[in-house]
Amino acid sequence: MISLKPRSILLISAIFRVGLILFGEWQDTHVEVRYTDVDYLVFSDAASLMASGQSPYKRTTYRYSPLLAFLLIPNSFTSRCWGKFLFSASDLFVGLFIRIILKQRKVPDDLCTYSMLIWLFNPFTFTIGTRGNCEPIVCAMILWIIICLNNGNVVQAAFWYGLIVHFRIYPIIYALPIIIFLDPCFFRSGTKPLLSDWTSDQGKARQINSELTDKCVVCDALKSTFTRSRILFGLISGTVFLLCTGFFFRLYGWEFLHEALLYHLTRTDPRHNFSIYFYHIYLNYERELSVLEKLISFLPQFIVQLVLILCFAKDLVFCFFVQTVAFVAFNKVITAQYFVWFFCLLPLILPWSNMKLKWKGLCCILLWMGAQTHWLLWGYLLEFKGKNVFLQLWMASLLFLAANTFILIVLIRHHNYGPVFRQHTDLKTTKTT
Amino acid sequence: MSTLQYNRLCFHLKLAILWMLFSGAVFCIHVFASTTEVETNSDAGKFIMKSYFENYESLHDSSFEDFMAHQLSSSLCQGIPDNWNVGVRLSVRELSLVGEGSHRHLSSSIRLQIAAASIPKLPAHLCEVIVIQRLPLGVFADPFELQNPHKHKAFRDIAVFGDTNLELPSFQSNRSAVEFHIDAGFNILFMQNNGTEFNLLLPLDARYQPLDESGYSVVEIGEPDMLMRCSVEGKQHKQSCLFMSPPNEKAKSTSATVAWKIPAGMKAHAGFLSVITFVTALLSTLSIVYASMFLSGTKVSKT
Repeated sequence: MISLKPRSILLISAIFRVGLILFGEWQDTHVEVRYTDVDYLVFSDAASLMASGQSPYKRTTYRYSPLLAFLLIPNSFTSRCWGKFLFSASDLFVGLFIRIILKQRKVPDDLCTYSMLIWLFNPFTFTIGTRGNCEPIVCAMILWIIICLNNGNVVQAAFWYGLIVHFRIYPIIYALPIIIFLDPCFFRSGTKPLLSDWTSDQGKARQINSELTDKCVVCDALKSTFTRSRILFGLISGTVFLLCTGFFFRLYGWEFLHEALLYHLTRTDPRHNFSIYFYHIYLNYERELSVLEKLISFLPQFIVQLVLILCFAKDLVFCFFVQTVAFVAFNKVITAQYFVWFFCLLPLILPWSNMKLKWKGLCCILLWMGAQTHWLLWGYLLEFKGKNVFLQLWMASLLFLAANTFILIVLIRHHNYGPVFRQHTDLKTTKTT
Repeated sequence: MSTLQYNRLCFHLKLAILWMLFSGAVFCIHVFASTTEVETNSDAGKFIMKSYFENYESLHDSSFEDFMAHQLSSSLCQGIPDNWNVGVRLSVRELSLVGEGSHRHLSSSIRLQIAAASIPKLPAHLCEVIVIQRLPLGVFADPFELQNPHKHKAFRDIAVFGDTNLELPSFQSNRSAVEFHIDAGFNILFMQNNGTEFNLLLPLDARYQPLDESGYSVVEIGEPDMLMRCSVEGKQHKQSCLFMSPPNEKAKSTSATVAWKIPAGMKAHAGFLSVITFVTALLSTLSIVYASMFLSGTKVSKT
């Protein structure tokens, strides 16, 4: 049993991150291989341009919202590490929000502590912020949205959701599950929704929950689809998104729209990455892909997202997690920073999983890391040794997809699915299998 | 976490957001009120390649040689009061590619020779050697790697011109060139009879190549173009002028192209690869759909 207090964990994490940032500065100056992510240089340059009254899009490869450049303006007149401190602070907020979300569901302290540690001391996640990658901000905002929804604060959740979709397009995949989640059975005017608490049986055996009564089947009928909460969420998030986008379009024109939004929607990259599609894209890059080819590559993503949403929307965090894993795995371009998108959600689903670390959990971790390492080996031979191993690298991508699929299925099988909310009047019995 | 702590946290977050919005509003007022554009490069005439790209859209050998022959001739050190034959000779002693894989360094050893009698007449502290390395389609120099202070502190200036889009494959990109400015003053003052040498190490990255049946594409990189520029006293004011090696001297320099063998995709893979890719994606999809619908803990029933 871990007896560290959350405050101590956050303090140690903060000191560790400050140390890493300082070490990174030393490494950048004295060692040939930089610690800082090349993207951070892109953000900083864009911020400098913005600070001098110019468009951040004059910086080539800056493909983010101007909001990010705005946040990093202090890089120009205080310290160039300002952005890293900001991202690392967001990183700490993610740890804090993980605890808040789990305590909202009455998860015991020790499990909350483990979950915090999984995020805060994961080597992948603590290097992300300290190297200057902005993903921790996105993760923190998504977790805050979950907190707001758990508290029944639809307006605030909608505001942050509109903002995060403007900032980073991918959270748009959470729109439909959130709408389904705002079930009128639980979200009633003037009443805070009741959260279902974690129980000690969660970790022992699978339970089949979420038995829906005739009453709720009626609630889900067409006439109650457009409820106050859902309309409010849609209107506010849509308005925030359009306002932000419209404002920056006014400032920076089509360049902003193309670089910050359209580029991500149509992005294909022939260069090697974890995606199974990279070599297919490279081999066909000189010609335009047919509509059929584009559709065939889009369909798996679409079908998986739809099925996951329909099956798991009521268990919102789990739905977010499986959607994100699938979204990354089936995407046309996969880079390592995308893994953070589901790493921040993993600690939130583990208390509801009956999979033990020994040995199934460990096998899943080793399988995922092994598949990744296998890909990296071929990538190293291609990029740093100049060997033609495109075919082997592509096969490693297939194996990586297979590993992701297998692990996703295992997590689904071992998850104790249950709606986040329970009804105010009818408490449903659960059946253990 | 208690309600009090939670509320305190929310309050602090709201304060932070208000501060950011206020800063944003102040910033926006500045942007809308601003009517002047800040020059990104205050030394407009400094880089020769900048002048080239003001006259030409993209880099071609014929256009560049035409530019060097005609448009730079007016900048050569002629017609100034103390016209002298300074006997400037710039040559490449060695050109080689260092490293493996897609990220290598082009190593150039450049010799500068000046006739001994001319050295005292030169304003040595105001002279710089300019090296222009034209790059072929298949490779590029990363401008941000060139900013690394650890590696390039010896240079007065470095800049990349042309296509600096790092992501495009070679068949969708244009050529680029790197221009180095090296302070020559110290070297001129203490020049030996056989001249002085500069060593350049230019980091280069390979682009994705056109498909090739052999699985490799060979890219050739030639010698750089070199000049010396000095600030001299003209009839009315100080001006910069250029010294170039005589054309017949260039032919005497050592041979110099280096070949870089870069992996390329093979068209023969295209057919079966697309099929297997899509079949794999389909199998993964079906597995996840099956698991979600039949192996998860979801159940809908009527009571």
